[in-house]
Amino acid sequence: MKLVTAIIGFLAMVLGCFVFGFAWPDIQKGQLPSTSAISNLFGVKSGAAATPELEFTHAYSKVLAEYIKPVDSTTLKYAGMEGLMSSLGDPHTMFMPPKASEAFNDETKANFGGIGARLGQDPLGARLSDVFDGGPAKENGLKGGDIITAVDGKQVGGMDIDDVVTMIKGKEGTIVKLTWMEPGKHEPITKAIKRARIIAPTVESKYFPDYKVGYISVASFSEPTADQFGTEIDKLEQHPLKGLVIDLRENPGGLLQSACDMLGYFVEDKLVVRMKFRDGKEEIAKSPSGFLHNFNYPILVLINEDSASAAEIFSGCLRDFGKAKLVGEHSYGKSSVQNVFPLVDQSSAKITIAKYYLPLTPYYGRKLDQDGGFISGGLEPDVKVDLDPNATIDPDNPKTDAQLWRAIEMLNPQAATTATTASAGH
Amino acid sequence: MSDMKKSVLTSVRIIAGAAAILLGFQARQRVDLGAIVASNSNVPFSGLVASQSNDVNVPAGDYFYELSQKLKEEYVEPVTDDQKLASGAIRGMIASLDDPDSIFMSKDEFAAYLNARIGKYEGIGADLELVRNGKSGSSDSGSSEADSDMTPEDAMVTVKEIPHLQVMSVVPGGPADKAGVKVGDVVRYVDDHWVVDSGLINKFRIALRKVNNKQMPATELNAMRAEIRSKSEHALLPARAKDKLFLGKSGTVNVVWSRNGKEITTKIERSTCEMPGFSVDGDRILLPMVEGDGGRLANAVKGKSEVTIDLRNSTLGNPQVMRDCLSAVAKPGNYGYFTTKRHDSPTPLEISVGNAHPPKIQLIVDKSTRGPAEVFALALASKGLVRVSDSEMGGDVESQQIVKLPDGSGYTLATSAYQATVSRKALNGAKGTVALQEVRK
Repeated sequence: MKLVTAIIGFLAMVLGCFVFGFAWPDIQKGQLPSTSAISNLFGVKSGAAATPELEFTHAYSKVLAEYIKPVDSTTLKYAGMEGLMSSLGDPHTMFMPPKASEAFNDETKANFGGIGARLGQDPLGARLSDVFDGGPAKENGLKGGDIITAVDGKQVGGMDIDDVVTMIKGKEGTIVKLTWMEPGKHEPITKAIKRARIIAPTVESKYFPDYKVGYISVASFSEPTADQFGTEIDKLEQHPLKGLVIDLRENPGGLLQSACDMLGYFVEDKLVVRMKFRDGKEEIAKSPSGFLHNFNYPILVLINEDSASAAEIFSGCLRDFGKAKLVGEHSYGKSSVQNVFPLVDQSSAKITIAKYYLPLTPYYGRKLDQDGGFISGGLEPDVKVDLDPNATIDPDNPKTDAQLWRAIEMLNPQAATTATTASAGH
Repeated sequence: MSDMKKSVLTSVRIIAGAAAILLGFQARQRVDLGAIVASNSNVPFSGLVASQSNDVNVPAGDYFYELSQKLKEEYVEPVTDDQKLASGAIRGMIASLDDPDSIFMSKDEFAAYLNARIGKYEGIGADLELVRNGKSGSSDSGSSEADSDMTPEDAMVTVKEIPHLQVMSVVPGGPADKAGVKVGDVVRYVDDHWVVDSGLINKFRIALRKVNNKQMPATELNAMRAEIRSKSEHALLPARAKDKLFLGKSGTVNVVWSRNGKEITTKIERSTCEMPGFSVDGDRILLPMVEGDGGRLANAVKGKSEVTIDLRNSTLGNPQVMRDCLSAVAKPGNYGYFTTKRHDSPTPLEISVGNAHPPKIQLIVDKSTRGPAEVFALALASKGLVRVSDSEMGGDVESQQIVKLPDGSGYTLATSAYQATVSRKALNGAKGTVALQEVRK
């Protein structure tokens, strides 16, 4: 008898422990185990029609059974999952059905050849914002401001820029046929171009002797960026400087470490970014010590809506530490970290798992409405300057770039007069 | 019991307890994430869990549950509103149908929609619907900027059509009516926001192809490009434009409409207003076809030998009321079919009780006769039972289901389309629109 009691007691204890383990995720959240989880454990679907899961299933079955046209059940399921994940209102939390996940993987692996140019959105197709020295685009006569209108004979007008880029990229050594138009010319040019492995330069500098202003553009934050930045600063400082313009427009970000290292030239051992996770855990990043540089001239940073992530951390911190003012348009507002979770059917779920916070700037995450329209987010510039989208920018003439020109005028108030004299001289 | 035995038993208990906790926790994880999260798939508990981890075709309900769990576990902010997730998922599904007749509506939108169905309007006091050329509504709206002489090659480069927003009915004496808005007007601008029009984008893409083929100088394109650029800076999707016009009880809204190729600018004060309800004036009956109108119609025709029924301004009629109305004025029998594009047989529109001695009926219809009202007219006309005024109707004979969700949002789902026994072509109907002549003199 005593043995039976002991056995029953033992089994009860084991069962109790099992239930405890099962309910642990809920206990952590301070709630009762969800009925849905329990019924799933026993393979039973609860009959109550009130659970959101059943409400969803109900709508799903209704559309499949009663919609006027037949609908593919997998497509419908994925459409539902996309809606589920976008209902949080976070543009970076999304469901990627199998095809989209594949493209995303290819992109992140980035073992692709290209034409050696940076492209921007244009109603006509893709506008070349930058052409790299020594790349296939430059060798074939493509210039900044040209607009690619067709790729391999397919019109790209009205297409999303990312799709155009995907079409242009391909295996190193293969051929891509491009059709492009030069501003002011009527006839498009078509050429077959061989793709090559591209290492995009991240830092470039220029000195404007007429205005005594240095200019550094940072295209993205990769491993060598901080070193390259230091080298370019040294180069520029061989000239007399009234000020420096750091151009982060179109800079999509990159490595956080690289942005921190670059901040090390400006501030030493300072907390630059705080990452807050779901469970209250925090991670911080600091600028390194031993790299402090004495910038004895004012600095302006150019930003626009394509400046994102690490570019926003860098420019936002410079402003927070009083090292620079921002000029241009509001930045993108990417201030969060995502993780991609692969799912068994080759789809994946991209979920925002943490948010960044700058030393002083309040949270600036991008917010969109239901239709994807911009509501708010990004760093607001101290001096707002819009760019005429139809103006052709001549990289050798800063006056053709309204944002850069404004920065130069701010750094050297005499620049405007110089300009007038110069144009009067013609 | 020896100490040795005791300690062995205790440790067995501890180990068993710990193992049970672990197994319980694992079982929960399998239950929550087992089916969709691709990880180590050789699980000891695969017999217990509801969804098999190897099963690639995860059922939709499990998918929903597991993805919700994943979000709750990983998302940077606490996710507590399951209802919001469900509504979001349903919104996604309905949107993927890409059908102007199947629309998901937020709480406010859905409430305004349900009110309009009983004649109570807000906003500018007009029923506005998303319309695709050739699908519903009239094609001569003057709204589309797409070339009518589009070649098959042009069709290849055109984008998927974005529906435009068109006035279906105007509440007499309401704000829109006072401002001179007419049925058929198409919204072009709302408070300086361009309402996105795929016609313009298509025109641009076609021109682009011509330039690429050297059939057109590029200069013409630049003007168009500048136009699109400036317009898209303040663009509004048609569904959002509808909210600005259909919702709200106060405030002014500036709207530019397109009517027969001309642009008309109006300034409209939002307020509530009501569509005139069922009324009888001698032999003339106004039938909006809202709740209760079936019984009213039956009473109104009693003892009358001839009546005129006005079906204008009835765009959001109730399908059940339509059947009641049909019973009130028609003999029992078959009045056509509801068909789908799925492989199923049409559902007949049958009247079982009916009116054994129906009066002679004259129907007054126009473009604002849509939905159940239009089906009513077609059903009677197809049997040669009524005389119909000589004008085109709205061309909307789709039957919808209306579904309300617990959070107040809701959606419509197009389920079938009406077809009279006689083919619509025989009724002198053109594609998408139905022009009815007097059927019986």
